[in-house]
Amino acid sequence: MASVTVTPDEWQYVAFDSARIAAVAEKLLGETGLDVDLKIEVDETTPLGRVSMTSLQPLVVAVESGAFEDAKRPRQLSEVAVADVLGRLLHRCRDRLDPAFGEPPPDAALTLQQSTAWDAYAVGRCARLGYPVQRQRRLYHFRNRHGFNDVADQAFARLWEAQGLTWADLEAVCQETDAARSASVG
Amino acid sequence: MRKLFPPDLLARDGRFTRVNNADRFNDPRGARGVAGGRPGKKGNNRLTPDLPEAPDAARTLMHGIFVGEIQALEGAGRTCWDFETGKGSDEAPFELKLDMARQCWDEARHCEISVKLSDWMGTELGEFGESAFLYEAACNPDPVLRLTGVNRALEGLAIDVFTTMKDFGDIAGDPVLEFCEDWMLADEVTHVKMGSDWLRRLTADDPERRANALEFQRVVDKLFSFGGLRGETDENPIKLARRFRELAGFTDVEIDDISNVSEEATREAAATGARG
Amino acid sequence: MADPKKPRPAFAPWDTRELPGSFTVEETAVRVGNYKWIEMKLFEVLGGWIATVPELDVKLRLGTHCYHHAWHAELFHKRLPELREMNPERLTLPANDELVAFVDAMTAPEGQGETIEKLVGVYRVLIPHKIAAYTFHLNNTSTITDAPTIRTLKLVLQDEFDDWRDGEMMIQSLIETPEEVDRAARHQASLEKLMLAAGGIAGPGSIGNPYALQEATA
Repeated sequence: MASVTVTPDEWQYVAFDSARIAAVAEKLLGETGLDVDLKIEVDETTPLGRVSMTSLQPLVVAVESGAFEDAKRPRQLSEVAVADVLGRLLHRCRDRLDPAFGEPPPDAALTLQQSTAWDAYAVGRCARLGYPVQRQRRLYHFRNRHGFNDVADQAFARLWEAQGLTWADLEAVCQETDAARSASVG
Repeated sequence: MRKLFPPDLLARDGRFTRVNNADRFNDPRGARGVAGGRPGKKGNNRLTPDLPEAPDAARTLMHGIFVGEIQALEGAGRTCWDFETGKGSDEAPFELKLDMARQCWDEARHCEISVKLSDWMGTELGEFGESAFLYEAACNPDPVLRLTGVNRALEGLAIDVFTTMKDFGDIAGDPVLEFCEDWMLADEVTHVKMGSDWLRRLTADDPERRANALEFQRVVDKLFSFGGLRGETDENPIKLARRFRELAGFTDVEIDDISNVSEEATREAAATGARG
Repeated sequence: MADPKKPRPAFAPWDTRELPGSFTVEETAVRVGNYKWIEMKLFEVLGGWIATVPELDVKLRLGTHCYHHAWHAELFHKRLPELREMNPERLTLPANDELVAFVDAMTAPEGQGETIEKLVGVYRVLIPHKIAAYTFHLNNTSTITDAPTIRTLKLVLQDEFDDWRDGEMMIQSLIETPEEVDRAARHQASLEKLMLAAGGIAGPGSIGNPYALQEATA
């Protein structure tokens, strides 16, 4: 069975609980069908909220503490935020580990359009697992990257509802919205 | 109903959560992290759509603006109520109260605009904690200090934020954000000008009162620079909007002073981070 | 078109305005000063209550209505010098002590759970009395000599009717139980008694005296 490790074990700057983070992560690993060990490295010295996958095999995720923080209560853990962050990330990891998905570039090489399209696809799946995701927030992210127009909105709706997409499908969406943006500029 | 209503009693429904100022300022991580934050992209931290976290940063900022608008509404309303009408130093002139009532209407509209904008950006009302900074500045027992603290310092910051966000909407192609910011910016220029005009009228024969008011403004300006949030370099996420501040009655010297205060706050924050 | 040199009356056939009115200049100035005073008290308390009301929609409406009544106060303030009162503050007065007692009672509620009382005082008691007094004034002043006051009253009344409806709908939406119906009614009754003692926002005669003819002939 997959194991989850959270560091640090003891918290100096925030009132987080490693066991609660691990519990959310373990549940998500099962729900996404990922049978891998997961290491979550939290940087508790910063209130910022960036998240990145630093290694796929073994799976290591680096998280700035703001990402797991309750937006209403400084320095307190939010399990909803943990699920929101890890749910999106683990769905993307699952895609990367699935040969049928194709071969996306490394995260650092993704364009903002590619990354947001992938996020829409990932978070849509979290929604169907029953997590309290914010569809309009994700749509807003998507519009910022793909355009404030009907083509982008329709593309987002398709990604949100989709299952079994490939990297080529995501790239096709990016090309479609790019064409719409170019047409409106022209 | 009492005069001078305390900030901890501000009425909110169950969606809102008050963030204690002490908790906020005593966060050992600081605003940018113990190490002083990661370096900006080539020294550029301006909030622009090309940043990976820009949409969420914009949502967070606009929610902060929304609760700020509620508190500005409450503060202007309290200035209508808290003072007897008159020309004494502990009174508020009739015309000043009329201006504050007008500001109530404007702030109420800003709240309405912000609610619609929150829907658009996918932000839930009360999604982020609320601190009562702005209303606290509106609790000063001297109406002139309220005007410098709120109308000149905080509404002045709003000019900077709205200008930055209007540009953000323009670059991102977000028609709703740009439209909302444009209209709110027009009102903020009016409010800041109102503050500038009343400061000069009420302290025309009282240089000490004017000096106190300007010192209070300086304190609020520094507090709300949030360790470098607002300034004139690309390292500051929010740009000091010189042109709109001039329209609002700030002199070049006064704008330079705010810029210096912001730089000072940036340096202090960096020093705090380095010590941590 | 008829011959441009052909004389026409100053009052067209459809213009039936007449000179007589119920108020002298002095009486009008006193009433306008009373109106300004009550509008001031109203916008001040609406502003003060904004911070105390947790219901978001009510909070925002109070902000909007606060300005409406401030603007009314400004309109009446500007009318006073035109009525030979060069120091408007001198006539910015309550009609009597009983009206002061009414305002004190109306502005007393502060608690977060007292939105019903706050709104009832304004929208079920004060504003209906303002509408009554302004309408009486509008219908009884000289349509020729006092046209500026008439114009002001018409502008003010438009706001009053709109705000009254807004306020009444807010009250209806807040009242959810029979006990709250009783609460609202009790508060309304206690304030109505104070307003009765005051005789209206301009004192006795705020809406005229329907028994005046009987009393004169008795």
